[in-house]
Amino acid sequence: MLQCIFLLSDSGEVMLEKQLTGQRVDRSICTWFWEHTVSQGDSPKLQSVIASPTHYLFQVLREGITFLACTQVEMPPLMGIEFLCRVADVLTDYLGSLNEDLIKDNFVIVYELLDEMIDNGFPLTTEPNILREMIAPPNIANKMLSVVTGNSSNVSDILPGATSSCIPWRTTNLKYANNEVYVDLVEEMDAIINRDGVLVKCEIYGEVQVNSHLSGVPDLTLSFANPAVLDDVRFHPCVRFRPWEAHQILSFVPPDGQFKLMSYRVRKLKSSPIYVKPQLTSDAGTCRVSVLVGIRNDPGKTIDSITVQFQLPSCVLSADLNSNYGTVNILANKTCSWTIGKIPKDKAPAMSGTLLLETGLERLHVFPTFQVGFRIMGVALSGLKIDKLDLKNLPKPPYKGFRALTRAGEFEVRS
Amino acid sequence: MFNQFGATAETLSKASTLVFRIGTDAHLYDDPDDVSIAPLLDSRFDSEKCEALKRLLALIAQGFEVSSFFPQVVKNVASQSLEVKKLVYLYLLHYAQKRPNEALLSINYFQKDLGDPNPLVRAWALRTMAGIRLHVIAPLVLVAAGKCARDPSVYVRKCAANALPKLHDLRLEDNTVGIEEIIGILLNDSSPCVVGAAAAAFSSVCPNNLSLIGRNYKRLCEVLPDVEEWGKIVLIGILLRYVVARHGLVKESIMFSLHGTENSRSEKDCSDTNSALDDNGDSNGLYESELTNAVSRCYIEGPAEYLSRLSFMNKDSSEFNYARFTSGKNNDDVKILLQCTSPLLWSNNSAVVLAAAGVHWIMAPTEDLKRIIKPLLFVLRSSNASKYVVLCNIQVFAKAIPSLFSRYFEDFFICSSDSYQIKALKLDILAYIATDSSISFILKEFQDYIRDPDRRFAADTVAGIGICAQRLPEMANACLEFLLALTRQQLMTGEFGSVDTEADILIQAIMSIKSIIQLDPPSHEKVIIQLVRSLTSIKVPAARAMVVWMVGEYNSLGDLIPRMLATVLKYLAGCFASEEVETKLQICNTAVKVLLGAKGNDLLTIKMVLIYVLELAKCDLNYDVRDRAHFLKKLLSTYLDSQCLEEETNRPGQHKDSSRLLAENLFGKQNKSISHEPIDHRFYLPGSLSQIVLHAAPGYEPLPKPCSLRCDDPEMDENGDPYVTDDEDSASESLDEEIASSYSSQHSNVDSSGTDGSEEAGSASEDDDNSHQLIQFSDERKNGASQSASDFGELLSNRALESWLDDQPGFSKPNTSEHSQVRTSSARISIGDIGGQVRPKSYPLLDPVNGNGLRVDYSFSSEISSISPLFICIEVSFKNCSKETMSDITLVDEESGKGKDSVEQSSFSDESSTIPQSNEPNLVSVEEITSLDPGQTMTRSIQVRFHHHLLPLKLAIYCNGKRHPIKLRPDIGYFVKALPMDVEVFTNKESQLRGMFECVRRCTFTDHIKELDKDKGDNSLVEDKFLVICRSLALKMLSNANLHLVSVDLPVAAKLDDATGLCLRFSSKILSTSAPCLITITVEGRCSEPLEMSVKVNCEETVFGLNLLNRIVNFSVEPSHPHV
Repeated sequence: MLQCIFLLSDSGEVMLEKQLTGQRVDRSICTWFWEHTVSQGDSPKLQSVIASPTHYLFQVLREGITFLACTQVEMPPLMGIEFLCRVADVLTDYLGSLNEDLIKDNFVIVYELLDEMIDNGFPLTTEPNILREMIAPPNIANKMLSVVTGNSSNVSDILPGATSSCIPWRTTNLKYANNEVYVDLVEEMDAIINRDGVLVKCEIYGEVQVNSHLSGVPDLTLSFANPAVLDDVRFHPCVRFRPWEAHQILSFVPPDGQFKLMSYRVRKLKSSPIYVKPQLTSDAGTCRVSVLVGIRNDPGKTIDSITVQFQLPSCVLSADLNSNYGTVNILANKTCSWTIGKIPKDKAPAMSGTLLLETGLERLHVFPTFQVGFRIMGVALSGLKIDKLDLKNLPKPPYKGFRALTRAGEFEVRS
Repeated sequence: MFNQFGATAETLSKASTLVFRIGTDAHLYDDPDDVSIAPLLDSRFDSEKCEALKRLLALIAQGFEVSSFFPQVVKNVASQSLEVKKLVYLYLLHYAQKRPNEALLSINYFQKDLGDPNPLVRAWALRTMAGIRLHVIAPLVLVAAGKCARDPSVYVRKCAANALPKLHDLRLEDNTVGIEEIIGILLNDSSPCVVGAAAAAFSSVCPNNLSLIGRNYKRLCEVLPDVEEWGKIVLIGILLRYVVARHGLVKESIMFSLHGTENSRSEKDCSDTNSALDDNGDSNGLYESELTNAVSRCYIEGPAEYLSRLSFMNKDSSEFNYARFTSGKNNDDVKILLQCTSPLLWSNNSAVVLAAAGVHWIMAPTEDLKRIIKPLLFVLRSSNASKYVVLCNIQVFAKAIPSLFSRYFEDFFICSSDSYQIKALKLDILAYIATDSSISFILKEFQDYIRDPDRRFAADTVAGIGICAQRLPEMANACLEFLLALTRQQLMTGEFGSVDTEADILIQAIMSIKSIIQLDPPSHEKVIIQLVRSLTSIKVPAARAMVVWMVGEYNSLGDLIPRMLATVLKYLAGCFASEEVETKLQICNTAVKVLLGAKGNDLLTIKMVLIYVLELAKCDLNYDVRDRAHFLKKLLSTYLDSQCLEEETNRPGQHKDSSRLLAENLFGKQNKSISHEPIDHRFYLPGSLSQIVLHAAPGYEPLPKPCSLRCDDPEMDENGDPYVTDDEDSASESLDEEIASSYSSQHSNVDSSGTDGSEEAGSASEDDDNSHQLIQFSDERKNGASQSASDFGELLSNRALESWLDDQPGFSKPNTSEHSQVRTSSARISIGDIGGQVRPKSYPLLDPVNGNGLRVDYSFSSEISSISPLFICIEVSFKNCSKETMSDITLVDEESGKGKDSVEQSSFSDESSTIPQSNEPNLVSVEEITSLDPGQTMTRSIQVRFHHHLLPLKLAIYCNGKRHPIKLRPDIGYFVKALPMDVEVFTNKESQLRGMFECVRRCTFTDHIKELDKDKGDNSLVEDKFLVICRSLALKMLSNANLHLVSVDLPVAAKLDDATGLCLRFSSKILSTSAPCLITITVEGRCSEPLEMSVKVNCEETVFGLNLLNRIVNFSVEPSHPHV
């Protein structure tokens, strides 16, 4: 069981500590952790389970904030990690986003949330809907009220009804004047294109995100036109397993507000919407770079927010890169990013330039990997189609909205 | 003039953050102590209290120590505002263990809150009460948890489950049974949420009490999908352990299949699944099956035990007997477990997925194992944070059964965003799952990886290629070719940018080549030659050493190598001096190896080279090299001497003396073909922390021994589970029964001789009548049993929330029946002149050493103050131990004059059990002793008001004008006064003060032994042993506390020496509140031995009662002062 949770800022300062069990954990563990992190170099990529001399540490890094949990005994490590992720999610949800100032400004709420979320090192209430009822999120109205009256309480004095219901994720007694439900398919395309330009791996990681504002206890059924394309699925706890097993139908009572109903994966796609062709030729201490970007398979909608990013190898002394379209930036950490946006009709975007290698090095022996970003509104590249959404238990028919979006996930082109 | 409109974006954003920060607690975090916190805490307004508490919280958050505010914070626990309460709880939990005494002050409020109609308040109270972790209140918490386990609110029941591990952490042996019973109740709860929390409690309190699971097994399985995610993780593990312990492992699972294939390797491919596993060639299959064997044994025995056994025993011990296996197809329990865990593979929580996958890995038939693959791989993509842990587990799965993952090799292709650890894991997995069909893709990938900017990773990739080649001998040549090309390329670039990481790649490449050559040396002769020829350009010492080693190792291989040996050795000898140590050592070895294998013309050259090399080595700076040279020289002395050389050439084969044999054994071609190193991987259960850190973390337990759990109760095993109920009402009924039984085990003062009949009472009385005390007999057989039974029925009928909450005095709990049945028969005696023997104990107040010869002692007197009930009378005796006369001795209270904001005072102002705040002095002034002659003793009676029954009062004695600060320690025994009452009233009152108002502790009592021994000395008057015990007990009590002896009940037992059942009752009331305080002492054991004594205090003021109880136990245990 977890013994203590620390929140560290991006400079390693301990912002919060919450002791969970009788065995108190000294703050010095954070110092050890931070030194360990610094010594490892690539801090954001540090492994999530660390065995320190005194404790086992779990860490999750979000937006520069390190969530660090300690334990001394055997426990499922994923439980610790998932819990920290959940804490990060809930805090993001409460505070709008996540950064050092926000945490410090709202430390009381963070404490109250942590106290409600974990008891004696074991997660207690992690369902965001229930938490929202127990501890009110900070909002402008509350703040103004507290300034005016000098009196603020964000602790609810009644126990949320959902804690005792059989659908613990849903707030009870909801009433909306306008009932609406939106279903979004948000897909991310992962692809690896190897040195020879071959598409080695191409798959879609997708999420069905639902935003529901429905009164009472509605019962929803969502079915797909082609569920067979789905390779793997994971569900929100509200989804009933049986209908899915039998007919690939999602039957559920939704939580209130925005939530991730399901995530899925579609493997082995045959092609990617755009191509990126890097070429690096080096000779006599310099390396010529040229990168071409273009549309390979037109998805039917515009592809926008196209970016190409790569890390210059450490042996490169200086780089001189230009593009015929979009802007090229070289950041301090030797990251080079080329922002293209939309691909113009009249020309193919290209970036070219030279890299100067360190002295003594004739030719480049390590090659950067190009990360590609793009976004296509209105299309789910996996081909998944929502057939229909049925709603039961509702007084009047609600408004239903559907959207789709595909963006690049881990889309990599090796050179 | 428009300056004020010229706001830049920066100032605007600053302003907006300012606006944004208004109303948050930002200023509190930034400057938590810019206002004085103490007055705010005492404020009448909740908002000010809140602010103060938030400031304290901010200080805690920043790592400051603010426990000094504890007393002030504690009293705010009484606040009605939930926010204040919550903040106080947060503070309390942080510091309670540091300030246990003050923390006790809050208990009353928790108790009150436990009866609050708001479930949130009840839950918080229980959580905090259990969370402050004080041994003293453990019994109270246990009772409260038991009560909350029956609470109508799911949330409260869940908190009750969470409170149990906290109790368990205190390690009070008495409570274990009680805790486990409550867990049993909660595991049986109708709400899945509670079951999850109960599972967590189970696994941390009594993970091995699997019979508790057996009762509910089927129901737990069915409820599993509805349990909340965190509970699922734990519950899955528990169910798995239960099934293994109950039914053993499954015959069709991997845990068995590979034992099967190993034991019956001749009848290969007994099933198609096995052939699928063995598709990678025989030798690998063997290796993998061995690995799986290791995996399964490790799961059951724990790696430490398994490995230690492995070291001295052959691995295929037959102790793994087949009776421990069950068939998964026929066993319902196994089937239902797999059925209920398989939908969990779709869970959103990666920990749940992994736990479910772990169950399938161990329990599922091999052909069903594939269903865990996709979910596991999907977790990799959907949760970045858990990637590393999942990969660690996949690595084990993939190593044991590579075919499972071989189809999904693309999922392990590396992304540039992966961390090094993840890259390394993926690489390892890729190398293991490569098959003939996928190897070409994987090699292609590997070639890309070698160009990765992360050179450490590139080096690992080279090693991975080596592993692939070993696993798939058909691909060895392709791999080798690639490696050689890489070596050449590396040598080229190495010339220029010679960085350490590049050297690593070269070393790895040569190492991989070496391992490929080892597979089949004869066919790779050309490779060796190629490497040897590139020796001139290989600069990295480790790589050079390896090539040199190869020369020696394969010196007689093929036709070409022997012919070039002499040249190579000459070259090596030439550059010997400039080599690194490891290369030097290898050159020595190689020269010897070559010599031993050499024939014909070269022999002489080689011998010369060797002599030359050894001579050089003897003068080397490094002592290892020197030692090696001396050793080799000694060993080969016979051959290196020239005359022996002749001899040797003349008569080859002769004179093979021992040193030659030794040398050949050492350096000869014992070309051991790749004996795969014994498997010493440590495997821990999938999903465990130990598997990630690769050592057994504290608390790690392997699976239970298969079939170690005997099912004694067949009725429970069938679905005739007595506890399974559908509606909540009847479920709670069964809960009540459980509660009752938990009480019986908690108050373990059950009389063992309780079954004695009343006719023995008569005989016992005859033994007793030689004593001069007045003895009354009273048959104490009560009809309590029947009465309490009716109570019980009533309890069941009105189980509404109101009656439940109404836990006031008069609410008789079912456990009364048990108490009333304890004493079937006893005789009541009264002890006469006990009052005269009571001698209050006196305590030193001032030592003559510190007090310039003045010795002051004090003792509490049983007199009641005439001024106010809040004052306690104390006899103080002053003695002059010095030679001079003392004068002007006074006792003063120095603190009463000070302001009342001192910490102690304000903290107790809210505590109802102590004195309300007032400005009265603490000490009624004592008349001054004008002079005290040497040796003279004077006694004064003073009256003192203590602020709290635990904290000493600071006073000062003035003597001869000098001040001596002293501390007057309160004795809680004198915070009560004797309350005369008779037995009926006593039992009546006692029955009203049960449950939370009752606390029991056990201790041993030894005083009587001395008394008995004394009596043995003068045989003239043999007193009854019982009376001696009674008297010493009563004396002990009365000398240490102001009590009234109500009754003494003698057991009427068959055995004369058995004091079990002796019961003394004392009554008193608390001075300040006049609340009655009842004390019952029950004795167990033999007269002449130390007695087991259980002291029970019934008092409305729980904290006071507890402290009094502790005091009684303390003074009962310590030996009594000698009787004068």
